[in-house]
Amino acid sequence: MLVVLVLPPLAMAQTQTARPVDSHDLSGVWQFASGGGGQGPGDNFPPLTAWGQAKYDANKPGYGPRAAPGGNDPILKCDPTGFPRILFQIWPFEILNVPGRILMFFEGQHTIRPIWMDGRKLPADPDPTWYGYSVGRWDGDTLVVETVGFNDKTWLGAQGQPHSDQMKTIERYRRIDANTIDFHLTIDDPKTYTKIWEAEPRTIKARPGVEIAESFCVASEEEEFARRIREPAARQPGKE
Amino acid sequence: MKKASMFAIALLLLCVRASAHHGNSAYDETARVTIKGVVTEFVWVNPHCQIYLDVKDKNGNVVHWAVETNSPAILTRAGWTRRSFKAGDEVSIILCPAKNGAPVAYIGTGDPGTKVIFADGRELDFAEKTAK
Repeated sequence: MLVVLVLPPLAMAQTQTARPVDSHDLSGVWQFASGGGGQGPGDNFPPLTAWGQAKYDANKPGYGPRAAPGGNDPILKCDPTGFPRILFQIWPFEILNVPGRILMFFEGQHTIRPIWMDGRKLPADPDPTWYGYSVGRWDGDTLVVETVGFNDKTWLGAQGQPHSDQMKTIERYRRIDANTIDFHLTIDDPKTYTKIWEAEPRTIKARPGVEIAESFCVASEEEEFARRIREPAARQPGKE
Repeated sequence: MKKASMFAIALLLLCVRASAHHGNSAYDETARVTIKGVVTEFVWVNPHCQIYLDVKDKNGNVVHWAVETNSPAILTRAGWTRRSFKAGDEVSIILCPAKNGAPVAYIGTGDPGTKVIFADGRELDFAEKTAK
């Protein structure tokens, strides 16, 4: 019975793998496979600077070894998830090719992230933003995306890994078959980490048949949710 | 058969993506508790849908429970709809309770075995039905 139930997705995967794949076309709906660093770039981060340590200590996550009920994860208030954290969320995303750009359309927070593919350079002095400014190019069969211009308001992952506005990221996407992208991420943030961080390698899987739905985080609804569920669940006995 | 199905569902969930949205440290995800009650409200909003129900405790007192679950998009792919519950529905829910003992709980992806069972035996869980 177990075999029968599990077979259909595998059969689908084999059928799709048999088709020729354009390695420079990543269009379609995808989702990070579980593993690696969970909802973030991983636990393997380099030693923090003093600035980074202070920021890390101030972050009170709901996940990982420092998890505690409550906490101050910025996404609890529907702040933008930010990059690269949005990659690792539990929702799928769609990659769209448009002239001069690749767009990543994330179901979580219904967010679009443009990656400029028209040969332009990274800006020298970008305004700090939640997702930064991204420029991509093909290096053989690998899409290489460099991003600068982040603010320092987001966490890199659900475990509260911090970053600064000095962060530069390099993503590498290589499609190894119709249903699989090999993903590597480099985080260079000398203000926060004492070395360049090579995040845990991850696999991105195709999600055939999945349509990206509207999943905004709505602050007013989230406040009501916090009042009715999150806060009662996190309240410590005797401190009501 | 039932055991094998549950195992398969658990496997599929793990393959799809195992974890919840915002930090589940308030809940005991190693525990599975079954409550039975009458639905008072079903809230279908992002990013957390919510089921509220009245449950009689062992002394016969009505306790109002609040159950957090996944987003409408994730639930839709698992076969739920905004009309999955109406006030007055009798349901059993297998859930992860709050660690602090409050009548608050989580069900959803990442916690295999959590699900809703209606009085007529129908079930709502978190295995994807709509994806190919």
